[in-house]
Amino acid sequence: VIIVLKSGVTEADVEAVCRRITEMGYHPHTIRGEFKTVIGAVGEERGQPDLRILEAMETVEAVMPIQQPFKLASKEIRPTPSEVRVNGVVIGGPEVVVMAGPCSVESEPQMIEVAGAVKAAGARILRGGAYKPRTSPYAFQGLKEQGLKFLAEARKRTGLPVVTEVLETESVELVAEYADILQIGARNVQNFTLLRRVGQMGKPVLLKRGMATSLTEFLLSAEYILAAGNPNVILCERGIRTFETSTRFTLDLNAVPVLKKLCHLPVVVDPSHGTGRWDLVTPMAKAAVACGADGLIIEVHPRPEEALSDGPQSLKPSTFAQLMKELRPVVEAVGRTM
Amino acid sequence: MIIIMKAGSSGHDIDEVCRRVTEMGFRTHLSRGEVRTIIGVIGDDRAKEQLFALQSVASVEGVVRVLQPFKLASREAHPDNTRFTVHGVPIGGKQIVVMAGPCSVESRSQLTEVAERVKAAGAQILRGGAFKPRTSPYAFQGLEEEGLALLSDTSKATGLPVVTEVMEPDKVDLVARHADILQIGARNIQNFSLLKRVAECGKPVLLKRGMSTSIQEWLLSAEYVISGGNPNVILCERGIRTFETATRYTLDLNAVPVVKKLSHLPVMVDPSHGTGHWEYVSAMAKAGLAAGADGVIIEVHNKPEEALSDGPQSLKPDRFAKLMDELRPLAQVLGRSL
Repeated sequence: VIIVLKSGVTEADVEAVCRRITEMGYHPHTIRGEFKTVIGAVGEERGQPDLRILEAMETVEAVMPIQQPFKLASKEIRPTPSEVRVNGVVIGGPEVVVMAGPCSVESEPQMIEVAGAVKAAGARILRGGAYKPRTSPYAFQGLKEQGLKFLAEARKRTGLPVVTEVLETESVELVAEYADILQIGARNVQNFTLLRRVGQMGKPVLLKRGMATSLTEFLLSAEYILAAGNPNVILCERGIRTFETSTRFTLDLNAVPVLKKLCHLPVVVDPSHGTGRWDLVTPMAKAAVACGADGLIIEVHPRPEEALSDGPQSLKPSTFAQLMKELRPVVEAVGRTM
Repeated sequence: MIIIMKAGSSGHDIDEVCRRVTEMGFRTHLSRGEVRTIIGVIGDDRAKEQLFALQSVASVEGVVRVLQPFKLASREAHPDNTRFTVHGVPIGGKQIVVMAGPCSVESRSQLTEVAERVKAAGAQILRGGAFKPRTSPYAFQGLEEEGLALLSDTSKATGLPVVTEVMEPDKVDLVARHADILQIGARNIQNFSLLKRVAECGKPVLLKRGMSTSIQEWLLSAEYVISGGNPNVILCERGIRTFETATRYTLDLNAVPVVKKLSHLPVMVDPSHGTGHWEYVSAMAKAGLAAGADGVIIEVHNKPEEALSDGPQSLKPDRFAKLMDELRPLAQVLGRSL
């Protein structure tokens, strides 16, 4: 951490700040410039007292952290990419893993139909929401446990592992009985109790970035899960809120190479939510793979015009199959497999 | 356009609004719902902006646009892609166009070296700024006319056409004498007198999206150039301002397929400004192509650590050559050539 002192501070002021730094368990290193004095505080910061408190001192102009605040998620701790294994499917390895399925589980026949179709097209994991965090309280809220049962049935028939969202700490155990990957949705990215709870479970977690979550905040949320003892975290970029309204969200693909540089966790991209429009899903899925994503999560519905949620961004099974066909050569061109 | 009346509007209120619409020279089409009445307005689109004034009538809840406000830039008006050539370099066709060069023209030796290297690596157009819009008035402002002369000379020596920025209407003629493509920078996207002036000039225009310009506003800026008599407009996505600070801007690649659907104009991507870090440029250049861009514009400097502007986002010539090698197979699987 670098502590910048105000112009015109006295020698006694500098000493007072240095004393405080020493008391907090760090070593001060003073650099006197022509106009300003800055103090470097040396020592492990994570898990130690937060030096930003020094901004409360009148003589301190600013405290600037130089180290990333996350640890277990960082490349410093683990320089090689981590792989998350789910029933034989490896996320974070050479293979680009496609997760697909409806936004909401609506009925058993719907799930069976979609699961068969996405499997035939090459999807490796089945998605489907049983507990739905809907913006409007009047919108379809999901089939809950009944939906989990339909997901389990679709898994039994197709062999595809299942990813589904868990909304609250009390339902974590129940959802984990049925799901192979627990999804933490964008709205829960800073529900810290829920993060700790899924951290204790040990099941792989698909952590979606919130619509206004910075990448540092996103990685700190991952850190909650890792710190609770669960190393199986998959990050998911799904679009952020910006001024642009011609798409539902702005898919921040910059996040993919940035996350790959900062951390060792697998990164997948959700072009369905990231655009909100089915006709933009295919180009953005290709773009995601081109910039280094380890996988995709895509909404597919047998009849999007009748879907109980997210119909406008859902692909028909035939469009999804076409996407997979177009994706394969792109995957190979960037040196991956599918 | 559609005019939505407030719930409980009387027959008199509705007649009054219809009368005003008729006075403005349009026809009306009434549809009475259970709770609300809406008035469809029929007539020439481009004169309809004045209808927004009706939002000030107490009985009107809203005025909603049905058609896009741009016309000449729209795919409806012009279903085929716009294609043209700049000194033999095709733009908007099957071939991907790569523009590369330094952020600023700094010296003859710098420009010559960079131009030769990017040409050898396969760039078809040379970029370089002579007039620089710098955030700080103390930063290097460009070599101005001397820089233009260096660009001309280098263009002659290498055979690469030149794209360079023009910042003010009274410099358009001067810049056009040296440049093959006039760049309108992000900060001038709504400098309407400049847009009109480059329209009259007739040279192809590279129109960069502003950092807080919606896609609709961007296409309306293009409409200024086209309606001024210049159809050769190239759009360039270069990142928008969001809350995320891990990157300089947020490259909005959603914009590529969105613009491709709305408009017939060629679309390029600038991953240098869109990320602000050289380490992310290659990944995002590939993503740009995969999303459907017709080309990329990339900052290359022989000594980025000594650059007078944008060093952190500039590629060294070797790295640029490597990027070109990676782009080629990708372009091919996307059905393009490079």
